[in-house]
Parts: sequence; structure tokens; C-alpha cells
Amino acid sequence: METWRLITTWGAPPEFNMGLDGALLEDPEGPPTLRFYTWTPAALSLGYFQRFEEVPAASDAFVVVRRITGGGAIHHTNELTFSLSASLEHPLFEGPVARSYERVHEVVKGALLELGCEAELRGAGELNSDAPDTGMCFHHSTALDLAWGARKGVGSAQRRRRGRVLHHGSIKLGPSKYDTDIASLEGVDDPGEVARALQGAMRNIAGIKLSPGVPSPEERELAEELGARAIDQDFVRRR
Amino acid sequence: MRPDDRQYLSSHEWVKIEDDTATIGITDFAVDELCSGNEGDLVYCDLPELGRQVEAGETFGEIESVKAVSDLNSPVAGEIVEVNPDIEDHLEILSDDPWDRGWLIRVKIGKGDSASLLDATAYEELIAEKA
Repeated sequence: METWRLITTWGAPPEFNMGLDGALLEDPEGPPTLRFYTWTPAALSLGYFQRFEEVPAASDAFVVVRRITGGGAIHHTNELTFSLSASLEHPLFEGPVARSYERVHEVVKGALLELGCEAELRGAGELNSDAPDTGMCFHHSTALDLAWGARKGVGSAQRRRRGRVLHHGSIKLGPSKYDTDIASLEGVDDPGEVARALQGAMRNIAGIKLSPGVPSPEERELAEELGARAIDQDFVRRR
Repeated sequence: MRPDDRQYLSSHEWVKIEDDTATIGITDFAVDELCSGNEGDLVYCDLPELGRQVEAGETFGEIESVKAVSDLNSPVAGEIVEVNPDIEDHLEILSDDPWDRGWLIRVKIGKGDSASLLDATAYEELIAEKA
């Protein structure tokens, strides 16, 4: 069975979280990696192309960073955040963007089912969590988003660079001040429980075993540099 | 068959060289990978400032579809002398006509090697492998 590196960083600072994901994308030859993380303090991340002014919560949030992935803003609190970084040739990611989402979300769906939650791709139509003008990821849905109870429950976005992909995901354990009226995992309090379910689904659905590891010294060094940029307020407010 | 009057990168950019100027765009395959036939899925394209120097293989811009941001890479080294002014507000051009009206930038070719370029036949073979 194929083995990926597993990196877990609970309660890390926002700039570290963004910097490390950037570093995991950078090396086209880097090992395929699944990363689980949470944020201390809670932070709002803007999508790569979002205008600061388009997201009312950005002016109010305690910490704001900019992701390298696209899409809408996410308030990172009370959630499991994960990233997958691998070659675009990998069977999970090869081919059109839409197909890669379907495959990744099949894995996420399996993990959610383990936790008693029956999620489905949204498909056609709209969700009750859709809300115009907030700029928040969970308030904007596409056909490829996972939803339950007619609300969006998993935020996701990709960045593709030099033959490699970084896939971001957020699974909510509850709503937040800015991520209101969304789907979340009721009765699950521990992001670690979601991580374990996702780890199991990677094995059972994608055929990928995970081996605990850490970032290389080069990745750590690059993560520091990229993290400083992600939280630099000129960069955050540049658009 | 894709146009044989230009060359291609494996990351799906095309380059058409006339005299010392390279016109650069992305292929129909790249557009389809990003939006699977739904042109409305392309949401943003960030192109560079005029006068910027690029190296061969260097990222000169980014394109965002509903679910992914992808880098745009320059096949040649040189100075960016022209940027297609219509693209940012009319991304549908990339779906309608990626080979002509959908050009992205023009580069005055400078010193330095080109990236590893494919002719149309080799690019077709690459695409066939991915199909």
C-alpha cells in the first residue's frame, strides 16, 4: 500500500500554518503529505485573490492572513484544517480540477460517515448556507462542495504549481462568529477525532497509509519565510 | 490537432515566436482542466506589469477557477512588453479562442535559455497520455 507522510501541528500560529502549507507545495519532488492542524489564535484567512474590502469580517477579525489557495474567507476556529500536497500526476489529483475534487471529497465523505454524518456533493441548486456579500467560503457553494442538512460543511480550495498541488480543507465542529448558519459535526468536540476518521478513510478509500513525520529543515526554513509573507499586512491588504 | 505554428510547455502554456517577440497563452486543454467545459468557472486572471523581466519557466501570473488557483509560466526569458487588456474582464475569451484572441502576454525575448519546449506533435502525445 502507498505511504504518505503525516504531519500534525495542533494549535500552531496562523503564519506558521500558512507558511508550512506553502513550503509543502514548493518542492515538485517533495513527499506526498497529509497535514492536520488547528489554529492558535483563531484567524481569518482570505482567499488568494480576495479583496480585503470584500470581506466585512476581515476588518473585525483579530488576525487576518492570506492563503495561497483561492476561494472565500474562512474563520479558522472550532474546526479541523487539513492539507494534501502531492504531484498532479497522483491518481487522487490527475486530470481536471473537478474530477480531483470528486475523488478527494469521496475520501472526506467516508470520514464524515464514520462520524455519523451523511454528507453529499451539493450538485445543482443552492444551499441554505449561501449568503451573498459576506465573502466567506462557507457562504458560497459550488456543485463540488460537501454539504449536509442543505448547508455547506467542508470548505476547500486548491493551488497548482509546477506539477504539484496543495488541497486545503476545513471541516467545522461548530459555527463561529463569522461562519454562521453552516453545517458542522454535531457532537464532535475534538479535531483529533475528525483527523483519525480522515486518516482511516485515506487508507480504506484511497488506499493510502500514513506514516507520522515532520517537515524537513528546508521546509521549515521556507515555511518561516512564506509565513511572514502570509501575515504581512501589506500582502493581506494588497487587493 | 493543436496549432503547429507554436511550441508548448508541459504545464500547458503555448508560445508563438515571431522575430524577437514571443506571444504566450494557455492551451484549450489547460482551460478545460480548470473549468471542465463550464467557462463561467474561470473567475480571475492576474497578469504582470509591463516592463517586468521573466526567466524561462518562471511564473508570470495566476489564473483562478472556482476551485483552484494555477500558476502561469513563461516559456521564454525576456521583458514583458504587452499584456492582453481584454482578458481580466472577459475570461470567456480563453474558452472561446485560446489560440488567437486569448493570448495573455508578449515578451521581448532576452538572453537566457528557453524552458523545455514541445512541438505540437509532442504536445498532442503528452495530452493523449493524460486522456
